[in-house]
Order: sequence, then C-alpha cells, then structure tokens
Amino acid sequence: MDDHRLDLPQGTLDLLILKSLSLGPQHGWAISERLHDVSRETLQVPQGSLYPALHRLERRGWIRAEWGASENNRRAKYYELTRAGHKQLDTETEQWRRLTFAVSLVLDMS
Amino acid sequence: MFSELWSDVRYRMRTIFRREVVEAEMNDELRFHLERETEKYIAQGMAPDEARRRATIAFGGVNRTKDDTFDAHGTALFDQFVQDLRYALRGLRARPLFTATVVVTLGLGVGANAAMFGVIDRLMFRPPRFLRDPASVNRVFVTTTEPTGKRIPTSKFGYLDLITFQKTARRETAIAGASFRSLAVGEGENTRVRHAAVMSANAFTMFDAHPVLGRFFTADEDAPPAGQDVVVLGYGFWQSQYGGRDDALGKLLKIGPKRYRVIGVAPEGFTAFDDEEPALYLPLTAYAAGQSPTFYKTYNWTWFDLFVRRAPNVSVMDATADLTHAAVADWNAMRETSPALAPAEKVRPEAIVAPVQTARGPNAGPTAQVAVWIGGVAAVVLLVACANVANLLLARSMRRRREIAVRRALGGSRGRLIRQMLTESFVLSVLGAIAGLVGAQLASRIVMKIFFDATAAHMSVLADSRTLFFALAMTVVVAMLAGIVPALHSGRDDLADSLRGGMREMAHRGSRIRSTLLVFQTALSVILLVGAGLFVRSVKAVDAAPLGFESDPLVYVEMQLRDVKLTGAEETQLTNRLIGEAQTFPGVAAVTPTNSVPFWSFEGHTLITDGMSADSVRKIGHFLTQTGSSDYFKATGTRILRGRGIEAGDRTDAPPVVVVSEAMGKVLWPGADPIGKCIRFRSDTMPCVSVVGVAENVRAQKLTDGAELAYYLPIEQYRTVFGEGLPYLYVRVQGRAENYAEAIRARLQKMMPGSAYVITKPMNEILNPSKRSWTSGATMFSALGGLALGLAAIGLYAVIAFGVAQRMNEIGVRIALGAVPSDVIRLVVGEGVRVTVIGVAIGGVAAWAAGKKIEPLLFGVSGRDPIVLLSVAALLVGVGVLASLIPASRAAGVDPNTALRTE
Repeated sequence: MDDHRLDLPQGTLDLLILKSLSLGPQHGWAISERLHDVSRETLQVPQGSLYPALHRLERRGWIRAEWGASENNRRAKYYELTRAGHKQLDTETEQWRRLTFAVSLVLDMS
Repeated sequence: MFSELWSDVRYRMRTIFRREVVEAEMNDELRFHLERETEKYIAQGMAPDEARRRATIAFGGVNRTKDDTFDAHGTALFDQFVQDLRYALRGLRARPLFTATVVVTLGLGVGANAAMFGVIDRLMFRPPRFLRDPASVNRVFVTTTEPTGKRIPTSKFGYLDLITFQKTARRETAIAGASFRSLAVGEGENTRVRHAAVMSANAFTMFDAHPVLGRFFTADEDAPPAGQDVVVLGYGFWQSQYGGRDDALGKLLKIGPKRYRVIGVAPEGFTAFDDEEPALYLPLTAYAAGQSPTFYKTYNWTWFDLFVRRAPNVSVMDATADLTHAAVADWNAMRETSPALAPAEKVRPEAIVAPVQTARGPNAGPTAQVAVWIGGVAAVVLLVACANVANLLLARSMRRRREIAVRRALGGSRGRLIRQMLTESFVLSVLGAIAGLVGAQLASRIVMKIFFDATAAHMSVLADSRTLFFALAMTVVVAMLAGIVPALHSGRDDLADSLRGGMREMAHRGSRIRSTLLVFQTALSVILLVGAGLFVRSVKAVDAAPLGFESDPLVYVEMQLRDVKLTGAEETQLTNRLIGEAQTFPGVAAVTPTNSVPFWSFEGHTLITDGMSADSVRKIGHFLTQTGSSDYFKATGTRILRGRGIEAGDRTDAPPVVVVSEAMGKVLWPGADPIGKCIRFRSDTMPCVSVVGVAENVRAQKLTDGAELAYYLPIEQYRTVFGEGLPYLYVRVQGRAENYAEAIRARLQKMMPGSAYVITKPMNEILNPSKRSWTSGATMFSALGGLALGLAAIGLYAVIAFGVAQRMNEIGVRIALGAVPSDVIRLVVGEGVRVTVIGVAIGGVAAWAAGKKIEPLLFGVSGRDPIVLLSVAALLVGVGVLASLIPASRAAGVDPNTALRTE
C-alpha cells in the first residue's frame, strides 16, 4: 500500500458517504471511486467497510436504496439521500468543521 | 424522530421476515461491485484473471464483508435467539420424558396460581365494572360503642341516615345508598327469586355506564315518600326474559308487592357495587315504600350500604374526618327521636372510609383472609415447581457438561451459553404456561365454586384479561427463576476440568446446589401440608361441634305473602293450615312455627329481670328470641337439660312460661337455679314470664361461639306479646332434609292464596356459607399441599436417580469389593432421607412459627397442633424413603462389570 494514503478516522466514513450522495444518487462502487478520486487518491476507503456503512445508514433512514440500471446497463443498487439524510449531513459537516477548527487551533498554539 | 424509528423497525422487520430476498440483494450488490472493479482493472490493461484477483484483494474478505453488512441490519441478536430457539426445541424433542415432567410441573404451578389469582382479584382488587375513577369511591362504615362496651363497625344504614349524611358531609360529591337483595319477581307460576339492586338514583352517576335501551331512573323518581314504581332491567335478565327486544320498555313487572314500569336496560356486565349482575335496579324509595310506608321517617330499619365519591383532592383521611362529623350529627338526630340512646360522646361514632370491595373493609369475612392465605400457598407451590424445574435443568446441564465444555473451547462465549440456557427454560415455561392456562381453566371452575356461590362460578380464565396477563407475566418470572441457577452454573465451569474429568469428578459440586433446592422444596411442602392438616382438623371440629340442634333432618319453610293482604289473625290461620298440611306429608316427624333461624335471622327484644334493668341486661349481650309449638324441641332436636320444654297446654290463657338456654341462665342468675325465676319484656310493669326449663346451648350466629344467649317462648304466648303472624316453619323429616325440601314446597305451595308463595331450604344449606372459610381452606390447602408433595417427590426421585447414575462407577467398585445389595440400598436411601429430614426440620420450624398467625382462621385446633406436625413429618420421611427406594434398588442391581466399563 502506498505511503501517502491515509486511513479514515473512526466515524468519518458516514460523513463522506452522505456528502458524496448529496451530489446525486450513486451505487456503492461509484461512491468508493468518487471518494478515492476527489480526495486526490489520499483517502483509502476500505471497500469492505463501505457496504456495512451503507446498510447501516439505510437502516437509520438517512439514505434510501433503489435498484436501477447502471451506466453499462446492468442492475445496480443506487443510494440517494433522504430528507433526514440531508439534515444529518448538515449536522455532521458542522460538527466536523468545529472539530477540525478546534484541533487546528490547539496544534497552532505556540 | 418517530418516522426514523419507524423506518428502522421496518428495515429490521424486512431483514427478519424476508431474509432470502435481503440476502440475494446483498449478494447482487457485492457482485456488481466486484465486477465493476474487475472491469476497471481490465480497462487498465490487466489480464482478466489478474484483474479479478486484484479486485478481490482490494475488496477485502468477501464473506466477512457479507457478514459485517448483514450485521449492519441490526438483527444479530434476534438471529441468535432464533438459533437458540431451534436448538432448544431440538434438545427438548430429544428428551420427551424430561420435557413432559418439566411442562407438567410448571403447568400445575402456573395453573394453581392463575386460578387463585382469579379468586383473590375478584374478592379484593377488581373494582366494579364501569366505576369511574374507582380510587375516589369508597364504602362507608360507622363504628359505634355497643351497650356491651364493644366497638363494632356497621355498613348498614337507613334512609334518614342517608339524608343526614347527604346534608352534613361537605367533602364528597355524591353519597348514595345501595342494597343487593333477593326479590320475588314475576307472577303466578313464573315467580322466581332474583338478585336485585336497590339504589339511590345518584348511584348511577358514579359509573360510566349508559343504558343500552331507555334510561336510568332520576332523582325525581327516587324521592320520598314513595318514589316512582319504575325499574331498570339488567342486561342478562332483559335477554333471557324479554329476548332483548325494544318493546320491553313500558312493560309492567311485578317485583315484591308492587308492579314496576320498565324504563331502561343497563349495559352488559354492569353490576353496580356488587360482583354479580343484578336482574333489576329499583329506586331506593320505591322499594322501601313497598316494605314500610314510613321508612323515610324512622331510624329503625338499617338495610343498605353507603357509597361516597370523594371530591377531587380530598384524601381518605379528610373524608374520614368529614364523614365522622356527619356520623355524629346523624347520631344526635337519631337521639332526638329516641332520647333513651346514649349521647354521642359516649357512643363515639367514627366513620371508616373503606374500599368498595367488602373483602377489604373492616368487616371482611374469613373467606377473604383464607383466600389470601391460599394465594400465598399457591405462590409457594410455584416456588416448589421452580425449584423442581431448576433441579431438572441443572441435572440436565450436568449431563451435557462435556458438550458445553467443547462449545466453550471452540469459542462460544459465556454470555451466549447463558442466553441459550435461558432460552431453553423460556421455551419450557412457555409450554408450561400453555399447560398452566389449560389447567387454570379447568381448576378455576372448581376453585370458584369453593369460594363463591355456585351462581357466581361461571368465569373463564381465558376470557379474563387480568388473569391471562398475570399468568403470562408469571411465566416470564418462572422462566428466569428456573433458568438462572443452571445457566449460571454451566457458565462457571472450569473448561479444562470438564474436558478432562467427564462427569465423575464434577458430580459433587452440582449436588450441593441440588440438595439445597431439595431441602427448600421439602420444607415448603411441610409448611403446606401442615396448613392442610390444620384446616382439615378444623373442618372436622366444625362438623363435630355441637350446634345444639340437628340440621340434617331440618327443612326451613318461609312464606312470602307479597301483595296478599292478610290480617295478623288470618296469617296465623294460614300458618296453622300449612302446619297441618305438612304434618300429613309422609316422612315428616314434627312441624313447628319459628321466628329466628340460626345463621339466617335474629330477633331480639328488651328484657328485664327482677334484679336487672333493661340497660344492664343489654350490656351483657344480645339475647335471641325463639318461639315454637310444643313440637319445637322435638323438631330441632335441642335437648331440655332440666325442667320441661314447651307443652301443648302453654296457651294464651295459661300462665306465661319460657325455656332459657344454659348460657342465658348462667349470665342472668349466676350460681342460682333459673327455674322459677322471672323475666319481663319491654318494661317492669309487664307480667312475669317464669322460667320452666333449661335447654342445651345452641350456636346461632357464629359457629365458633357455642353459648348463644337464647330463650324459647310458646307460640301462642309469643303472639299475645309480640303480635300475630310469623311466616316461618321448621319441618323435621325422617332422613335428610334435601330429599324432602322440593316435595314439601310443592305440597305447601298449593295452599297459598293469590301470588303468595313458599320457599323451602334444607337447614344445611343455610349453615354451609358459615362453614365455607374452613371447608375452602381445607380443600385448597389439601389440594395444593398434595401438589407440592407430589412435586417434591418427583424432584427427590429425579435427583437421587441422577445421583445414582453419576455414581454407577463408585457403586460398581463397592459391589466388586463385596458390598451386598442392602449396603447399596442403605447408601442411596440414606442420602435421600438425610435431605428429607433436614427439609422436614426446617419446614417444621417455619410451620411452628407461622402457626400462631393462622390460628384465628382455625377452629378447635391449635396452630401448633403436634398431631398434625408429627404426621406431616412422618408422611414426608416416608415419601422420601419411597422416592429413593426405586433408584436404590436399581443401583443394587448393578453389574459391576458393566458399571466399570462404561466410563
């Protein structure tokens, strides 16, 4: 594994999935690709842990799934954000911002 | 929030109930991912095989991901439970005898409890149906000091009392009177005695009941002097007598002496304050006016109960103070009409604001107390059943020790194993609960008959949600209790030991718990059986107690004149005609008129002796007035101890005479011979009635009190003092009264004018309710004690048999070394007897301690009766020996070769 790739801190995977889906419905593989690409190949999403997270979010009611045709015309399970999911994304984004801001304040102290 | 919860539940439900679909979808989803990944690598120029390999590596373990993803559905616990359930069912099916024993044991325990719960709930806890906010409605008692100095609470009031209470009390929103009586309803041949509610119009306002037809009566229809003759029908009566038709409204119905117009029908199951559905509801005033037209002006007829609804935020204590104030005002008002009464300061009237249920009030009869005891006893039986089941499960878990050790070695967690054991006992107790409900359904009919009149015994446990809920809740508790000991025990085992040693080494540790449970069971059985013995002896004592009269051959006859108007003299003539007719009936030995009937009615009059004023006589107690013809003593069988009885010559023109009971002679003329002494009625100017005979004592009010103060007057002389009439007879038959009662009724009914009619009752039927607390105590204690004994015997047998199976090796060695069968039997039986004796000792001490508490409910036997204690001890030791003999003889027959080879 390449050194410049980072493992995700605990709990951030949910946030990333929600954010990724806020741009439009997507299936699991595409989410994983998108996270990988957008993070300039820095974030290493273990593909194995993506699906338990997706199913957990679905159970919570933040995303909902629907079967549709994929870009190469095969049956794929598409996820999209629900209204509750949008709200959750806002909350978690806000929390993340405050957390990183606070952490960086502490790190910057001299 | 709610919608999130709902979507969560829906999601999990889908996973549980459509598992195949969910799993297939998941497979599709993951396969799609892998294929896309593979395609990506192929597009980058890899060979297909290599691409697939890279994709799989990038993905991480496919099967683990599947598992993790499935776990994300949040149904793992449920899945485990289903797994445990399947496992438990498989295990139980494999051992049908074990399963059957446990299920039957639990069934008996749960069944007995559910049935008793039904009784106690009915007696004590269940508020009447439709009663709005039952916690704020109370039954009122008033305690006063009697002339004898005793303070006795009464719940019976008259109309003037009700009015004073309504006027004086401030903190109650409604005060109502209600009485539940048996009234003659219908005309001619169709006349039947029915259960009727007589109550104030405002009693309806305490309930949330609405008439299913017509309306309830109003305050205007319930105003003195006579109200309106209107009646509301009970639902059952409306169905059976009017076919549930609307045209019942406006019909006239004869009730007692008057005709009432039907104005409404009460809803189904409405019982007012009673626990049995009345056939009719009558206005208090309309009914009372039919009995005594001056009822609203006098204090001397107290006949109904008082019910109040406390105003909001008024506590029972506040209401007590308020109603005590009203009771004092009531006493003062009564004293204005009869100044001879003692002043209120001396009588100190005090209100008691009691629950609506009679059994929880100050005058609760022994039946309710006995029911509570039996409820406790049923709970004990349940404990015995639990101990038994725990023991059986424990023995089973010992047998499965190796299996469990292997499972733990393979990574099964302790929590998971405990859960599995609990699941197993849960399944067992669900099966047990089903058996229990079936048992309760069968038992409750019998139990209800033991505690209530036959008419009330039509309850179904399954249709009663409270009992059903109770039984289910109990099942859960039982599952926990019975399952927890073996479950904890199995989790605690040392793995290596179990794997290495097999059964042999471990047998001893488990046996201590099992012996403790056995001792506990035996002790509880002892307590129950001692209770059973005490009640059985009480019943024997009650039956053997000299009543002072013979009840078996006595038929009680009562005439109901209803609206037939007879003068006193005509009534006397009618009575005489009936006596004449009854005497011609084949098998009749003697007939006499009578007035007070033991355990049924009481007539008393003011008495004066030469030495004592009316007041000082009253302070001694209540004197029972009896009257009869010269056949009176022949009919009742009461023996004349000295002097003579009533003779044919004691007529109006002869000197007035009286026969007194031994007890009465002793209290009025202590140390002197009563014969020749004088008593006078009402005042000292009345003629002297001289005592000519002394009769043996009778029991007339309480079976426990054998010294009734009673006197007997010749019928004709009685009539000159107290008036004509007297519509009651005793008919003594040759044989048992119940064989004659109906035939005599039919014969006498022909003589009755107009709508008047005759009721006959075997005397024993009148006595039985007074014996009920002992007979029901004896029956229930015996049944439950026998049950506990049976359970303990099964438990002992199972444990000894198991112990023997465990020690086959050891026994084999002993036999090989020369032990003869009797040695082996002694060894095994000795162990059983040791456990039993310890249990008997503990139980005996506990029963001894509890003896004093139960003594007030017994009769003629001490709560620490040595005969009962010793015979129970002997019985249990005997059962202990028997239960261990069977496995012992099996052990004695062991072939040492086989025994030594098996392990």
